Amino acid sequence: MLRVENVSYAYGVAPPTRRRMHPDADAAESAAPHRGVNDVSLHVGDGGALIALAGPNGSGKSTLLKLIARVIAPQRGEVVLDDRNDWTAKEYARRVGYLPQETEDVFAMRAIDVVVSGRAPYLSRFAFESEEDYAEAEKALALCDASYLGARFLDEMSGGERKRVFLARVLAGAPRLILLDEPFAALDVAHVQQFSRLLRDIVDRTNSTVVFASHDLNWAAAYSDRMLVMRDGRIARDATPGEVMRTEVVRELFGFDARTIDGWLVPNLQR
Amino acid sequence: MGEVALKRGVFVLAVLLIAVIIAAVCLGAAHVSWRDALSGDATARAVLVRIRLSRVVVAALIGATLAVAGVTFQTLLRNPLADPFILGVSGGAACGAAVVTAFGLARVPGLVPVVAFAGACGATAAVFLVARRRGRTDTTRLLLSGLILNALFSAIILIAFALAPASDMASALRWMMGSLSGASWSDAILLGTMFVIATATLVFISNDLRMLAFGEDDARAHGVNVERVKLIGFGAASIVTGAAVAASGIIGFVGLLVPHLVRLIWRRDYRYLLPLCALAGPALLVASDTVARVAIAPVELPVGAITALLGVPFFLSLLRSSR
Repeated sequence: MLRVENVSYAYGVAPPTRRRMHPDADAAESAAPHRGVNDVSLHVGDGGALIALAGPNGSGKSTLLKLIARVIAPQRGEVVLDDRNDWTAKEYARRVGYLPQETEDVFAMRAIDVVVSGRAPYLSRFAFESEEDYAEAEKALALCDASYLGARFLDEMSGGERKRVFLARVLAGAPRLILLDEPFAALDVAHVQQFSRLLRDIVDRTNSTVVFASHDLNWAAAYSDRMLVMRDGRIARDATPGEVMRTEVVRELFGFDARTIDGWLVPNLQR
Repeated sequence: MGEVALKRGVFVLAVLLIAVIIAAVCLGAAHVSWRDALSGDATARAVLVRIRLSRVVVAALIGATLAVAGVTFQTLLRNPLADPFILGVSGGAACGAAVVTAFGLARVPGLVPVVAFAGACGATAAVFLVARRRGRTDTTRLLLSGLILNALFSAIILIAFALAPASDMASALRWMMGSLSGASWSDAILLGTMFVIATATLVFISNDLRMLAFGEDDARAHGVNVERVKLIGFGAASIVTGAAVAASGIIGFVGLLVPHLVRLIWRRDYRYLLPLCALAGPALLVASDTVARVAIAPVELPVGAITALLGVPFFLSLLRSSR
C-alpha cells in the first residue's frame, strides 16, 4: 500500500546571510543532533496492522508521519501510495488520515460538528455535509465509544474525551492508513489502555492500518504488531515487538542502561 | 440538520437588520416623514433619501465589511482577539488615506481607496511578520504588534495633518475616530462593489478556510492548499477593510464584537459564521450610528466612540477569559 523511498527532510536550513551574521549558529547547528529524517525507506503492506513508530524525542517520528501525511513535502525521495505519487491533495486525504500531536480548537464547536469536518476531503467546493456525512460521523463516534459526546462542546470535555473525538474525526474520513502522532501523550494509564484497545478494535473492524508514534517504548511494544524504531532521523530497527524488547537490543538502540523483563523495559536502578 | 439552523439564523438576523434600518431611517434630528417625501415634498425627500438613507446604507455596508473581515482574521489566525482595528489593519488604511488627504490629493478619483487598501495590506503583512512564529500567532505578540502599529499610524496621521493646512485638522480626527457624517451614495456604490467581490471570494474558499481553525498541518492533511487559502483570505479581508476605512475612517471593535456575539448563539464553523456576521455586523453598526446621531441631537457623536464604548468592556472580558 505505502512505500516510502529514500525520503529526507531537514528543518531550518538557515539562509547563508543569516549564517554569516551569527557565526556561532553554524557551530551550534553542526553540534546539535540531526533533526528531521534522513534517507528513510519503509514499506507498509495491505491488510490491517498496528504499527508503532518508536524512538527518543527528536528522532524524527513526527517528521516522518508528516511526510507520509503529505503535510510537508520531502526534500529528497518520494512517498508512494498504491504505486502512485500523483494523487491530488483531496484524493490522498481520503486515503490517509493524520492526527497531529496537538489539536487546535480555539473556537470550540459541538463534537459531532468537529467529527463531521473530517469528511472535508469528500466535499465539493460549496457543499455542506449531507445526512450521509453526519451518519458517517456518528458511526465514527460510536467506533470510538464516544457517541454520548456528540452533542457536547469540546471545551466541556476532558483530555481523553477530546482525544477520542479527534480520533473519530480521522475515522470519519474512512482512511485506509491512519497516522497518529503520540496518541498516548497526556493520557493516564487507564486511558492509554482504553485507547489502545480502541485502536486494535479499529484495525480489526475496518481493516485499516494504524501507524502511531510513541516515545514510550513500553506502550509502543505492548500495543503493536510491528515496531519501527527511529534514531537520529533514520529507521534503526524494523521488527516485531518481541525482537526489539530485548536487553541488548534496547541498549544498542537507545544507549541507556536498562533491563527488559518479560518484554517490558525496566530502568536499571542499581548503581 | 446544520443547514436548517443556518437558515433560521439568517432569517432572524435579516428581520432584525431590516427593523434596525427602518428605525434608523425614521429617526433623526430633522423631523421629516416618509409620507411627506412620497407626496412630493422635495426637502423631505432630500433629507430622507440623499442624506439619511445613503448614510444608513453606508453604515450597513461598513458594518458588514468589518464583521466579515473580523471573522476571517479570527479564523485565519486562530485567535479570538483578532479584528481589523486591533491588528492595526484599519490604522494602516486610515494612515494611507490621511497622507493622501494631507497632500491635497483626496479628490483624485479612486486614489483614497487604493492607498487605503495598500495601507491595510501593509499592516496585515507587518502583523504576519511580527506575530507569527512556527506557524502560530501568539496572542501576546499579536496584541503588541497591533498596539505598536496603531501608535505608529496615529503618529503618521497627526504629522500628515500638522503639515497640512489647519482647516484639515477636523479631517484628521475623522480618520482616527471614525464617522459616517460624510457618507454619500458614491461611497455606497464603491463599498457595495468591494463587499460583494470580497465576500464572494471568501465564500468560494470558505470550505477550505474553515479547516484552518483546526491548525495548518491539520488542514493540509485534509487536502487544503493552506498557502493559497491564506493569501486569498488575508487579501480579501484587507481589501474590504481598506474600502471601509476610506469611506468612514477607523471604526473600532465591530470586527471583534460581531463574530463573538454571533458565536454566543451559533457555535459553528466559518461557513456558518460568514453569512451570519454579514447580517449582524450591519445591524450593530446601523444601530450604533443611529445612537450617535440622535442621542444628543443636534450634536452628533462619532460612531467610533459608540462602538468603542460597547467594545472595550467586551474586549476586556474576552481577554480575561481567554487561555
